[in-house]
Amino acid sequence: MSGAVRLQVGELAKRFGGVVAVKNMSFDLKAGEIVGLIGPNGSGKSTVMSLIMGIARANSGTIKLDGVDISGWPAHRIARSGVSIVFQHSRPLQRQTVLENVKLALLPDSLLRLATEASVGERAREIAERVGLGGVLHRHPWTLPFADLRRMELAKAVARDPKVVLIDEPFAGLTPTEIKVFSDLIRTLRDEGRAVLLVDHSVKSVAALADRVIAMYLGERIAEGSADEVMQNETVRRVYIGGKIEAVERKSAGAGQAPTLLQLDAVEVFYGKTKALDRVDLRVRQDEFVSIVGLNGAGKTTLFNAISGLVPYRGAIRFGERDLRSQTAASIARGGVVHCPETRELFVHMSVRENLDLGGGHLSKSERQRQLDWVFDLFPILEQRQAQAARTLSGGEQQMLALGRALMMQPKLLILDEPTLGLAPVILGQLSKAIERLRQEHSLTLLLAEQNVTFALPHSDRVYVLDHGRITWQGDPVRFAEEMSTGYL
Amino acid sequence: MRAIQILVDGFAISSLYGLAAVGFTLIFGVSGVLNLAHGGIMVVAALVGWLAAGELGLGTYAGTLVGVLAGLATAYATYLVVVRPIQRSRAIRPEETEIFVLTGTLLWGIMIQVGMAYLFTDNPVTIRPLISGVVSIFGVRTPANEILIAVLAWAVIGLLWLLVNRTRTGKALLGASMNPRGVTLLGYELTQLYLVAWGIYGVLAGIAGVLLASFLGVSTTNAGQLTASAFSIVVLGGLGSVSGSLIAAYVVGYLETATAYLIAPTLRPIPSLILLVLVVYMRPQGFLGRR
Amino acid sequence: MAFLRSRLFWIAAAVVVVAALLPFWVSIYLLSVLTAAYYFGVFAMAWDLLFGFAGEVNFGPTFLIGLGAYTAAILNSTAGLPIPVCVVAGALAAVAGGILLAVPALRLRGPYFGLVTLVAVLLLQNFVVIFASVTGGEIGMTVPDVLSIDASVNYWYALAFLVVCAALLFGLSRSAVGLILQASGQDAVEAAALGFNVTKHKVAAFCVSALFSGTAGAMLIFYMGTASVDTVVDIAIGVQIIIAAVLGGRRTILGAALGAVFLIVANEFLRPLGQLNTFVVAAIALAVILFFPEGLLGYALHRGERE
Repeated sequence: MSGAVRLQVGELAKRFGGVVAVKNMSFDLKAGEIVGLIGPNGSGKSTVMSLIMGIARANSGTIKLDGVDISGWPAHRIARSGVSIVFQHSRPLQRQTVLENVKLALLPDSLLRLATEASVGERAREIAERVGLGGVLHRHPWTLPFADLRRMELAKAVARDPKVVLIDEPFAGLTPTEIKVFSDLIRTLRDEGRAVLLVDHSVKSVAALADRVIAMYLGERIAEGSADEVMQNETVRRVYIGGKIEAVERKSAGAGQAPTLLQLDAVEVFYGKTKALDRVDLRVRQDEFVSIVGLNGAGKTTLFNAISGLVPYRGAIRFGERDLRSQTAASIARGGVVHCPETRELFVHMSVRENLDLGGGHLSKSERQRQLDWVFDLFPILEQRQAQAARTLSGGEQQMLALGRALMMQPKLLILDEPTLGLAPVILGQLSKAIERLRQEHSLTLLLAEQNVTFALPHSDRVYVLDHGRITWQGDPVRFAEEMSTGYL
Repeated sequence: MRAIQILVDGFAISSLYGLAAVGFTLIFGVSGVLNLAHGGIMVVAALVGWLAAGELGLGTYAGTLVGVLAGLATAYATYLVVVRPIQRSRAIRPEETEIFVLTGTLLWGIMIQVGMAYLFTDNPVTIRPLISGVVSIFGVRTPANEILIAVLAWAVIGLLWLLVNRTRTGKALLGASMNPRGVTLLGYELTQLYLVAWGIYGVLAGIAGVLLASFLGVSTTNAGQLTASAFSIVVLGGLGSVSGSLIAAYVVGYLETATAYLIAPTLRPIPSLILLVLVVYMRPQGFLGRR
Repeated sequence: MAFLRSRLFWIAAAVVVVAALLPFWVSIYLLSVLTAAYYFGVFAMAWDLLFGFAGEVNFGPTFLIGLGAYTAAILNSTAGLPIPVCVVAGALAAVAGGILLAVPALRLRGPYFGLVTLVAVLLLQNFVVIFASVTGGEIGMTVPDVLSIDASVNYWYALAFLVVCAALLFGLSRSAVGLILQASGQDAVEAAALGFNVTKHKVAAFCVSALFSGTAGAMLIFYMGTASVDTVVDIAIGVQIIIAAVLGGRRTILGAALGAVFLIVANEFLRPLGQLNTFVVAAIALAVILFFPEGLLGYALHRGERE
């Protein structure tokens, strides 16, 4: 079982400008245990790892390695003291072979060493073989499949026999079989007496592997315990799902007969080697409000980027009669498929009014005024703040501005990506009311992506569940509440 | 007496610097490109203007116009032949694109400089003043042309301001400089916006070139220096900030003029160089930069 | 890779042997062109080490070269010190310059650092002009000592110098330190996470690049017998160095030398075109950037490895 305390994190805090990424984070990491760090997007998990590794410097708090305070040390010194990290995205040296990449991890930090000792080459080979790269030692990274690149990252991290191993998103982009293999490798690390800290979006995979789980939200710890304990924790469930999953019966007369507005057939998206979307079939009818729910990394944003023409894809995406593949992203937007992205993409140095005007740039002056009046009616706070620069608005106001700007384009299909991300509950209420109004008053079709199921359900005629790039469930909200409330997390 | 002379001369040269720098910073803000062929574009405008006005006998006004058009054409050539192919090339890794564009525009600038010298001349050329006569400002006799140049430079800058802040395309350009993805999602074609941006830049650089020719004269050997001074001014003012570039232009223009009058003409560029080094060390984002 | 290297080695050895025998059947004029080209080759290789390996774009390599050259020239003409001493002094002066450049490099990114390097050259130029009494100003200065009066001997000096530098720099690039440098240049965060002090390595890279640039600059002075701003502190020369390295293939070291020789020789052969030779060379370099961004040697080496 677990042994001595290797890492002690005490009251760690980190701010990036005005945004608090981590506040008052404390926990211990013991030798011979795997601790999983979970939390929704923006909860500070990756930041904690960066702070421990010395890549970012904490504003306050302590990090002790075997009793020695390492906070404030440069990253390379921390690395030489026995901490290593596997980053979320593989970082190989493209011009070197696999063997050379691993050798690099074994080299001492010396300016004068020109020749590498023979033992280094041998040791590198051993390590590579241990993680399963024995067959590709002399290949270059660009020729390797995704999983092998991740193996190489793991090999580099364990090369110098670290006491503490930090792994950021070990399972992202892996198939279930590969996940099992990696989990076994990570277990071996633990059995060798190392202290392992994991961060991943896939709560299930972390739960299966971790001895202890710590849940984070908005920069601080909200729960700690065994995997089961944490997943049943009220606060955790609320944070992930948004609360109790209640379904409201949607009275949508004749929605089943409405013409199909958006259709996706077998859509696939690859980022390099990673398959981000796997044969997604989707349909949205006129006037329907459809939700896509899923955790981070499930592929919701990728899906929307494909529809908007921002990433290349395989398969077919049709809007009405038109195949969207032949159009540029801007013309897709002009054609009525308006995408309000997760990152909002506001013009932060322009005023609220200027942002909205740009949204209505394709309309005639009178039409634009009418549209503007309508948006101001929907979001009175925007009218109040119309002369202010967008970056001075609060998070909730910025979301409203993004939504308002999208509405200025008179969308036929509005694609809304995670509007509730990082917003306080009070704002959620306002947003919810605004969306309800849109539903009642206007002929608008909505495709909504959300992690917060409680927010999404009342506005949905139909629900799709996206997991690891695949549609794993679809149906109406009532059925969703019945079937998914226990199994979702 | 001296002071007023410095004030007046400095104003004129600074206005021209400002005009050229605004174009340079616009292209960086919208297109992300540090165009090292900048001086070359100005030189083409000056030379063609001189040629049209004098040798081809079109007269000063028409010649100037032709010069500006030549600057526009050269700017488009720079974008379509050098910058865009490099930006779109799949053989170049995205992190290296910036360096390749820099080197590419540098080479292109050299080609323009040498090509122009070969085709026409590498002696300084001047375009006859647009208006003649001398005006007396606080006792200093100044060519009326010089005043006109400063006025024209500011008129153009004013027009640009109107364009960017009052027209839809201008606002879209401004948006593109802040957030290219944002404007795409609002239905504006980036490819078209870039073409507009380079067109505006060409006109600005062209006007700066012909005006400089009419004020101090321009030679192909100036190309590098013109690029360097635009670059320095823009970095001083803050890459991407138009108002910053204008302020910096006046700082540099006056520093240079004062140095030339009070210390020695040969030491003209030194104080601004030193200022540049200081700023780059201590406040790399420049006076008003926001990147 | 190992196989390629040994094949490369034999080809390189053959080329060196042929080059060494050239003085027996080639004109003095061509010899002098090649001599200059060889020194230029060292300039280009030193640049490639800094760029290709440490990832720093030096737009003013002539700052380091000029420092080395002028220090050596001034010491020789004013203090009458023997050539080797002057060359060493020049090298040290260049290294000091290299450290000076390294400081902003570590804190500035991309275009800003490039600007600092350009400004460094301009400042040095102005410096030389202002202190004309010592440096000869824009006209330049002559040095009393030269390496040799015989064109063949000068040629062999240059060739030997090039071969030694090439061997050292190439060996460095393939060594453990070279690997760490590449990592530092490509991905500083990952290099730090693997336990390498990136700052230390980058400063070292600057010093090495400066050492070779300064030494070559000093040697060049004692070959030509004169030093002037136009030959060693010019931005245009710096641009040519960059073109040579890019032409030959970045990160190959040897490619930079090849590119340099090609460039100088091409310049000479195009001389009848008059001013246009610069145009043609720039056009060729632009074409290489657009169509063969890997450079000539880079393209040749990697052709077999493309997917």
